[in-house]
Amino acid sequence: MNFKKIYISYRPIFLVLPTFIFFLVFFIIPVASLFIIAFDKPVTGVLALQGEWTLKSFLRIWNRSLYFDAAVMSLTLAALVSIITLIIGYPLAYLIAKTENVARNTFLMILVLCAMQLDMVIRLFGLMVLLGDNGVINGALMYFDIIEKPIGLMYNKLGVVIGLVQFSLPFMILSLIGIIRGISPSVVEASRSLGASPNKTFWNIILPLSMPGILAGTLLVFAISISSYLVPALMGGWKVMMMPLHVYQQVAEMGKWQFGSAIAVVLFLTSLLSVLIYQKTAIRIAGGRA
Amino acid sequence: MAIQYGHNVFMFDLKLNNLSKKFDELLAVNDVSFNINSGEFFSVLGPSGCGKSTTLRMIAGFVMPSGGKILIGDNDITYQAPETRNIGFVFQNYAIFPHMNVFDNIAFGLKMRNINKNEIIDKVKKSLEQVNLLGFENRYQRELSGGEQQRVALARVLVTEPQILLLDEPLSALDKKLREEMKIWIKELQRKLKITTVYVTHDQSEALTMSDRIAIMDKGKISQIGTPTEIYEKPANKFVADFIGISNFLPLEKKSYSGDYINVSFLNQNFQLKINEKINQEFSSAVLRPEHIIFNPNTDKDICILEGTIDIISYQGAIIRYIINSNEFKFISEFSNLPESKIFKEGETVKFGFDINNLVLV
Ligand SMILES: Nc1ncnc2c1ncn2[C@@H]1O[C@H](COP(=O)(O)OP(=O)(O)OP(=O)(O)O)[C@@H](O)[C@H]1O
Ligand SMILES: [Mg+2]
Repeated sequence: MNFKKIYISYRPIFLVLPTFIFFLVFFIIPVASLFIIAFDKPVTGVLALQGEWTLKSFLRIWNRSLYFDAAVMSLTLAALVSIITLIIGYPLAYLIAKTENVARNTFLMILVLCAMQLDMVIRLFGLMVLLGDNGVINGALMYFDIIEKPIGLMYNKLGVVIGLVQFSLPFMILSLIGIIRGISPSVVEASRSLGASPNKTFWNIILPLSMPGILAGTLLVFAISISSYLVPALMGGWKVMMMPLHVYQQVAEMGKWQFGSAIAVVLFLTSLLSVLIYQKTAIRIAGGRA
Repeated sequence: MAIQYGHNVFMFDLKLNNLSKKFDELLAVNDVSFNINSGEFFSVLGPSGCGKSTTLRMIAGFVMPSGGKILIGDNDITYQAPETRNIGFVFQNYAIFPHMNVFDNIAFGLKMRNINKNEIIDKVKKSLEQVNLLGFENRYQRELSGGEQQRVALARVLVTEPQILLLDEPLSALDKKLREEMKIWIKELQRKLKITTVYVTHDQSEALTMSDRIAIMDKGKISQIGTPTEIYEKPANKFVADFIGISNFLPLEKKSYSGDYINVSFLNQNFQLKINEKINQEFSSAVLRPEHIIFNPNTDKDICILEGTIDIISYQGAIIRYIINSNEFKFISEFSNLPESKIFKEGETVKFGFDINNLVLV
């Protein structure tokens, strides 16, 4: 009856309304369309909805080991990248979190963030200059006669992993910094004073208390890696067939919208399922407190 | 239900020799020395930022001294890692491990000492009994009140039978009533265990009620070390007199020495004060405690008699505080609120005085 009254009693809804509309238009609707198209009759070159529902596309995915292999490849590489990124990122995040000097801390943060400011493609070109057969590393190794022929650092799984790690490292570091910084110094001192060496303190106190950051970071990196198209395309040279490459191939090169969407749906569900399983297990291991 | 720990058998005294700590330009702890006897309850008392925590943290090994030595018995521990010192530290925020329940928190120190499982279970149980927390084994930090966390922190430290117990303002996060209870409880526990204890606080009532001896710290230096009585009744300098309790500082003019006496004047009155060990030769004023002021004094030769008007009355239940204005000098005086005592009114003119033998020159 009176707008102000309505506004006040439903204020939380009003506050999130713009975000909700944005989310609906630019995320839910596109993804939902993809889901719908995937169940439509596959016709090459046709994007429009025909309304002839079928599981043909999914059956084809199921019957071709090509796609199963791609799913396995995507999952293993994404998991591997998450672990490597964690191992590299944790010490860096710890260093930044424990640097109290404001100037030094800001400098380190800028280093991390500036890695994110260059476009993905440009950064990958940079990596290519470094890792290519005529690149800096191979050139140097050959110059000093350590190797005779270039070693393959790119256009294989190694290249893809290096590319994905490079891309996702800042996300890992940012997920960890806040959590590590939140660990009270007196808890660490208490552990030392109760007889734990720095090493034991790390494994018994610091690492378990970093768990929320580790969980968030690895989940984020996993999701980024499993869905990455650009990195396997450029760093893998279309030799490391992760699932997004198949989606791109079917849709952009062959115009098979329905089949491409079906692969995307499978990718999405695979990713979602593995994330859920991981989260459940991690929380169980951490005793429900992660 | 008394628990016998090793403390009763082994004796550990703690010595600080000329201990200093510099943070960049700031001399946070400046040449601090004291000896704490085995089983003693020793407090370090001082205003915020005077270097109390830094001193304590050097004893624990969390801060490396810039100079000086720390000894337990004859054992120099100055540069030993904290985990090898066998010193218990109770933090202001308790520092309970948030990812472990109460049992695992208390067992932590024992596990680090590779004690076998059955013995750990046994010791943790006894320790929980001692702090009245049986049945709390499976709780996490977020499920404990401040007082309970505080007792877990104490149990966690005591179960490892440390040589020295260090407490850094352990009561400051508790409400007033709980603080009063915990004061007595900690003191009783300490006395039972006979554990050498260093207690840091900025609350003088805590230090005065709990301690065997107190060190008063000011700007990184020790101002005075003494029993609570000595600290209150014979403050070594103006800072101590000002920091502990309430003081009227009477500005004195030095006249002359005559034998064992010194002639001074205050508010145009001359007195002769006996020189004894409590007199600081550099004195510039005399400390008069509020409770040493009396109304309508008799005219004894050692009594200084003054006249003034009551400026402010502040009724505090057990005591009544009068601010008396005499020739523009404001005296703070305190009287027990006894049934027979006369209560003055603001503006009333009164005759009052004090025994000059109660003055402390600083
Ligand atoms: N890690 C540090 N780096 C630089 N300065 C420090 C550090 N720790 C303490 N200080 C400084 O040293 C001085 C003494 O600090 P300390 O914590 O010992 O004081 P305190 O007596 O415990 O005070 P409070 O009652 O407020 O706890 C302070 O001026 C403080 O700012
Ligand atoms: Mg302090």
